[in-house]
Amino acid sequence: MEELLDNYIRFLYTLTPKHFFEMFWFYFVFEFIRYFLLEFFVLNLAKVKQWVDRPKREDARRRLFIENPLVSILIPGKNEGKHIYKLVNSLREQTYKNIEIIVVDDGSDDDTPTIGRSLENARLITKFLRNDVRGGKASAANMALRFAKGKYIIHLDADCSYDLDAMENILIPFFMDENVGGVGGNVSVRNHKESLVTTLQAIEYFNTITTGRTVTSYLGIYRIISGAFGAFRADVLHQLKGWDIGPGLDGDITVKIRKKGYKIKFAQDANCLTSVPNTFKKLIKQRLRWDKSLVRFRMRKHKDVLFPNHSFRFLNFISAFENILYNVVLNFKWYVYLTIMLTFYRPLFVNIFITNVLLYTATNYVKFIMYSLYRPKAHASMSYFLVYLPCMVFYYGIYLRVVRTIAYLQELLFKKSYQDPWNPPKTSIHARYLGI
Amino acid sequence: MKRSTTNIGEIGTTIEVGDYNFLFIRNMSATAVEELQHHAAVVIEAVNQDYVRMVATSIRANPSPDIYLKPIFLLKKDASETPLIDVLADDSVKNLSELESLLPLVGRIASRSQELTFINSISFEAQLITKIISLLYVRELKVIEPVPYTYSNICYYYPLLSVNFDHVDEYMALEILNIGEEDGIFRSEFVDRVYLCSTCSSGHLSYREVCPKCSSSDTTPDDVIHHFPCGYVGPMKDFSNQIDDKLDCPKCNKRLRHIGVDYDKPSIIHECNNCNHSFQDFYVNAKCLSCGDDRSVETLKATDIRRYHLTKKGELSAVKGLITTTKDIDEVIGTIKFDTFKTMLKYEIERLKQTEGSSNICAIHITNSSHVYSRLGSELQRGLLKDLVTVIRGNIRTADVIAFQSSSTIVLSMSDLPAKIGKRILNAIPELLHDLIKTRFDDLDVHFECRLVQLDYTKSDEVHLQELLEGYF
Repeated sequence: MEELLDNYIRFLYTLTPKHFFEMFWFYFVFEFIRYFLLEFFVLNLAKVKQWVDRPKREDARRRLFIENPLVSILIPGKNEGKHIYKLVNSLREQTYKNIEIIVVDDGSDDDTPTIGRSLENARLITKFLRNDVRGGKASAANMALRFAKGKYIIHLDADCSYDLDAMENILIPFFMDENVGGVGGNVSVRNHKESLVTTLQAIEYFNTITTGRTVTSYLGIYRIISGAFGAFRADVLHQLKGWDIGPGLDGDITVKIRKKGYKIKFAQDANCLTSVPNTFKKLIKQRLRWDKSLVRFRMRKHKDVLFPNHSFRFLNFISAFENILYNVVLNFKWYVYLTIMLTFYRPLFVNIFITNVLLYTATNYVKFIMYSLYRPKAHASMSYFLVYLPCMVFYYGIYLRVVRTIAYLQELLFKKSYQDPWNPPKTSIHARYLGI
Repeated sequence: MKRSTTNIGEIGTTIEVGDYNFLFIRNMSATAVEELQHHAAVVIEAVNQDYVRMVATSIRANPSPDIYLKPIFLLKKDASETPLIDVLADDSVKNLSELESLLPLVGRIASRSQELTFINSISFEAQLITKIISLLYVRELKVIEPVPYTYSNICYYYPLLSVNFDHVDEYMALEILNIGEEDGIFRSEFVDRVYLCSTCSSGHLSYREVCPKCSSSDTTPDDVIHHFPCGYVGPMKDFSNQIDDKLDCPKCNKRLRHIGVDYDKPSIIHECNNCNHSFQDFYVNAKCLSCGDDRSVETLKATDIRRYHLTKKGELSAVKGLITTTKDIDEVIGTIKFDTFKTMLKYEIERLKQTEGSSNICAIHITNSSHVYSRLGSELQRGLLKDLVTVIRGNIRTADVIAFQSSSTIVLSMSDLPAKIGKRILNAIPELLHDLIKTRFDDLDVHFECRLVQLDYTKSDEVHLQELLEGYF
């Protein structure tokens, strides 16, 4: 250990700026510039805009309550009965009251039908619809949409809960800009103290959703309205005839709305809490599904946004390009970097690895502390996470990168997403055949 | 057999058999059941069932024990059974020559009727319980059996008791029996459970599947179709093609070809033709055919129909008189007990012997009390009686006294007053009472009859009372 430390200190002494850049170019070029400098800069701009827009926002809020449009809340799912009562109670507490709640049971085999019917009879939910045969998340959401009467549609996951002003805050962007077609809510982790993996996901959600989506939303390249909490203009959804087959239907619908020329916004103050996988094994399953959908939808189904055509839009191009570049291309580029380091800097590899870890960790601390200042509300004490931040390098930089790589390869080479049991085979067969 | 036939107009015929005379009522003849108090029994010619039911019901519903306790016999040629009438009647004969065989029964009923004691109560419930236990005792019956009956408002009929109520108030028979059970007069056992309208207690309900939103039963079902390739889900009408009757997906325009391969029908949706609400599960409503109330079945009154057995205490109460019930009405303020009234009457007659003044006793009788009280229940009955006393008290002198002879008859004294003035005062009271009832109770028709008897010191108090109360029960 002592030898390792002596060796490392000697390495640092001998390190010239030229060597430093040669060995850590990956960090500087991609991570530091994109995920720190650019993000920090835009975050400040976003906050300034938010401050400047305060009167406009207040006016939008006032108009929302004057118009008081009916909002349809859709809750599709299978075997979610146990969550519904709690969810409905949290919805009854909302500051925005003119809502109809439509629960669709997608072929549950537990007591969900009984719970749903009793909630409908007690008038705690507006409509409970059940399909005896499972059709998948998209079909359940589409069924709810077909019978929704609201001017705005909010899509929720049954196992989530919401701040009492969440519905109000997710609707306000529609009244600030009439060209907004969809708004994503801010999803945070409810069970962040359950295990190490949930704590790490909580930090990840803070970075990628709370901060990341504020930035992309400001830049006009926000690309995924989370299925756990998303609001849409009903006319836009009806125009699109709802969701297509998943997995990854939330990202897909967002792109479809963008392609129609509507803006997508992120409502940082529309807070939703969700429970995340509590073991690394469960998380792998979830992330494989999510990451495969990036290839399936961005690189195949919606590849047209990358090419000049009659419906080409620059921001849509940037949105997809940035997503593919940073998540897919650089993911594989990292392996190139690793190979170079192992090939040309093999004697120094341990020292380079340690330096990378220190660099990323230091950046994580600076980012986390600085960005926390921009967070309007917190459901968990920020200090709780500080001790776990060093783990993020291994969690995000290695664990999730490996999972992503497997997912991309599975999808690129074998189109594995069409075999995902998350969606019933009867629909996936058609999706694969049609290439959607 | 000694038989003499006397024609008494259209009312009926008296047939003497042995030591008893029977009132013979021919089919469809005009009836006055009051005639029965002068007969030992009645024979009804059973040709038209509705007519027989009407006559038998009016006898058993009469408030006077001299009428309702009398045996009813049917003259019928066949042996057909009509459960309701068979319970109301005591026996049947095929021709009048068989009446002699009924004499022991008539004698037994007459004899047991003599054993009964009637204690006047102003409680309608107590009166009815007295009536039912008297009927049971006289006939040596122990059980009050509920009879399923289509024409009953609660679907079950307790013939000897339910006849006392109008069709819409039949449910009150259950309350009377429950009061009797609480007082230990009856014990009961479960027979069935019926569901009654929460508004009018009728059991005649139409159960229907209705729209959860507007309660209309005018709905149209439609299959829900899930199109696999694009995930569109909607009712079949969304897919219907106007041109060739084929199914085309409204989202991706593909033609639906093969159920289970490119589409399926995961559920059914109903659309309300009244409010356009779409739903999958109906609410079940019960529409009351009596009052029209249309509500969810959860709001119906679940009511047990029980078989009631007369207890030892019940039998004893029939013989010794029913003292009180839990629902009995306390003495009404402003009145004195009837016994006290009788004592005061005795003293007044004695006083008249000395003074030779002019004093009167009066009666105000509610001729349709059964109808009135069966509609009101004990709480409102108490209110009505109090109101009546207040009005009467306001129109007579302070020294005059008021008492209840029964819940349907109020007696009062008018001492030292010429009979002519007394009559004038008395005749003005019913109008005031009608005005009062009109303001306090909706659609309640109460009929009053007034009678005044001038006291004659040569007659006893009992004779005066007999004269005053003749025909009032």
